[in-house]
Amino acid sequence: MIEQVINIVGMANIRVIIGLTGILTLITVSTLLLTWAERKVAGHMQRRIAAKEVGPFGLLQPIADAIKLIGKELLTPADVEKPLYFLGPILIFVPVLVSFVVIPFDARLQVMDVNVGILVILAFSSLSVLSILISGWGSNNKYSLIGAVRSVAQNIAYEIPLLLSVLAVVFMSNSLSMNDIVEAQKGLWYVFLQPIAFIIFFIACVAETNRTPFDLPEGESELVAGFHTEYSGMRFALFFLAEYTNIVIVSAVATTLFLGGYNGPILPGIVWFFLKTYFLVFVIMWFRWTFPRVRFDQLLNFSWKILMPLSFLNLIATGALLKLL
Amino acid sequence: MLEDIKSEITDINVAEASYPERGYHLAIEARKENLLRVIKFFDDKGFYLEDLCCVDYADYLELVYFFNNHTELFRIKTTIKLTPDKPSAPTISNIYTMAHWYEREIHEFFGVYFENHPNLTYLFLHDGIDSYPLRKNRVPVSEDDKRLLSFPIPHEEEDTFSVNLGPQHPSTHGVLRVILKLDGEYILSADPVLGYLHRMHEKMAENRSYAQFLPNPARMDYLASLNFNLAHVAAVERLCAIAVPERAQYVRTITCELNRIASHIFWLGAFLGDLGGLTPFLYGFDDRENILDILEGITGSRLTYCYFRFGGLYNDVDDNFMDATRAFVKRMWKRLPMYEKLVTKNVIFINRVEDVGILERDKVRRFGCSGPVIRGTGMPFDMRKVEPYAAYGDMDFEIPVGENGDILDRYMVRMREIETSLRIISAALEKLPAGPFNAEKVPKKLKPPKGDAYHVVESPRGQLGVYIVSDESDTPYRMRWRVPSYSNLMTFPHLAQGTLIADAIAILGSLDLIIPEIDR
Repeated sequence: MIEQVINIVGMANIRVIIGLTGILTLITVSTLLLTWAERKVAGHMQRRIAAKEVGPFGLLQPIADAIKLIGKELLTPADVEKPLYFLGPILIFVPVLVSFVVIPFDARLQVMDVNVGILVILAFSSLSVLSILISGWGSNNKYSLIGAVRSVAQNIAYEIPLLLSVLAVVFMSNSLSMNDIVEAQKGLWYVFLQPIAFIIFFIACVAETNRTPFDLPEGESELVAGFHTEYSGMRFALFFLAEYTNIVIVSAVATTLFLGGYNGPILPGIVWFFLKTYFLVFVIMWFRWTFPRVRFDQLLNFSWKILMPLSFLNLIATGALLKLL
Repeated sequence: MLEDIKSEITDINVAEASYPERGYHLAIEARKENLLRVIKFFDDKGFYLEDLCCVDYADYLELVYFFNNHTELFRIKTTIKLTPDKPSAPTISNIYTMAHWYEREIHEFFGVYFENHPNLTYLFLHDGIDSYPLRKNRVPVSEDDKRLLSFPIPHEEEDTFSVNLGPQHPSTHGVLRVILKLDGEYILSADPVLGYLHRMHEKMAENRSYAQFLPNPARMDYLASLNFNLAHVAAVERLCAIAVPERAQYVRTITCELNRIASHIFWLGAFLGDLGGLTPFLYGFDDRENILDILEGITGSRLTYCYFRFGGLYNDVDDNFMDATRAFVKRMWKRLPMYEKLVTKNVIFINRVEDVGILERDKVRRFGCSGPVIRGTGMPFDMRKVEPYAAYGDMDFEIPVGENGDILDRYMVRMREIETSLRIISAALEKLPAGPFNAEKVPKKLKPPKGDAYHVVESPRGQLGVYIVSDESDTPYRMRWRVPSYSNLMTFPHLAQGTLIADAIAILGSLDLIIPEIDR
């Protein structure tokens, strides 16, 4: 029976299906944990206690939140562009999910080792801006539209330094496969060899995930809630879910590319992987509760005038050094 | 000055007034025909328009213009009389920009028509009115006037679109609405719409006795209740010539300064929230909580205080208050360097506020700005120094000023004002004299002698003036509030033009607007 199914569907596909199911579970659990963590981090940075009533240490608070969001009536404002409005929250979630497929959690724990893994992630992460654009446009709200347009400009601006800093890593590992990149960091992590690339990559990641200080598409004090102003209930929750998953994915990619992925002494690889990933997630949260928001023109200037030339120089220097050595 | 005025303009009545009794130095009676000449004369002399209001004396209407000088206190009351039937006066909004809104307000409340006024529409009462609310007799609004008052709906043109910033928006701190006309993210024009919180305190004052009005001022500016409370109380004391004991004056000074610090801290949190930094808000509340506790101990309330009474205070301060205040001052001195490190040295913050929203120094006179907004431009204009009230005359303090008048300057002025206030509190606590805290023989029912009085205090947002006209009854005949945010908000359309949305939000935040105070 099982063999028949395997024969029909194919081993590779079954692996993907099981992997995706696992990832979906992982994402949901991690998002629930992260919303709790964000509350706690924010709370302690702001000299308050944060959630503590529901469950031990308030750990069940995210579940209460989730039940509330699921239970809410799905309001559809009168004049929205319905197909786009409905598509937005769904579409924002899919590319995030797919990005996880190529990430090696441990030496042999990976859904699929694509030999252009890094390209897959970059390609899919670019898709999320499309869903922001259509949900902003479909909402038929001026604040949403401004937020969506900001998001597009921001993503285009930061994709390039992101790509260039990743290229520096690829130069060093001579491979686009995530697995090979991690294997190449067995000795020394790339963060020590490529500190500039790491910093550029991390800044661009924060910008890509629309987090403070680059949270212009949803800048609360300016655009109310930006592109998701008109969304409520579970649709809003999907945006929320996508935001946190995005944070995890950029942290996971940063871990894989620069922090040696699952490499580390004593503890098993997967523990190291998640330790590093969640440390980066914490740093991103730390940013949010420390920095004010940059202005739109400053944001673009920072990318085009500082990050871009810097990442180019870094790339040239890397190439030259590799050639010489 | 007196000679100057007399020689320049011959056909007016000039009378000197006793400043301690009236609150102004000169009273000029002009006529409709020579009003503009008088106004131009003041403009040439560098006076600014402090207040513009109207009083209905039943058989005639009186327009009252208060002029004052930024460098040296010299308040001049200029009046013109208007016929109660279809009153009209020349507009002065082309000379003093701030008169623009003041005239609209008078038109709406009294039905005075201002000739050549560019936009004589509703300012507060958008629901429409049947009769002019502040007139003593019922005067129905004519159809012509109703048409004139109606508010034009913003229409969209090609390549631009308008956005309603507010009344429900996280950054307008209340219910201010600003109609922004945008080209992309650039603001072509900004038009504030007021009146969402209009409660007509000025009319309420006419319907209740002086003492019954005591809780009202706190509802105008809920962040600086004591300063507003003081303005009302001090104006009535001036009108009735009540001498306030030293001890009460010192306690007034201390509590007002505590309130000022609380207000500035709240502003700091809200302003940084506008810029996207949410954490300072809670840090600020940590400090503000101390002040609220201290003030709760003596006033009984935490936000809308009503602590001052005519001739003194509600009750005396105790040792708890003294100790708590001393402890707070000590704590706050330690906290200020932390704010400095967290906020002022943050490069993102500096980039957002430096050279943004520059208010030129030559503009502030025409806009009638006051408070940190005017001090940010480098003008050391502070009512506590210019026109000392309470115990400020005995205090030795410096007025912090900025340089360029940008947002950073306004921020720095406020932060340094917290330091100034701390110094004043410390000094006042040291000097606090013993003695009674209430004046003797203040009647339960005040019936001030006929006449008018003007009193000004420095609220955390700027110059706050109260003008009271008495007709010997136990209720004010007319009470006029000159509120600082009102004039400060007028600079917003000018400052916001050509900036990005994000900058406009920062500018709006830097003006420290309290909407209930503007709407009154």
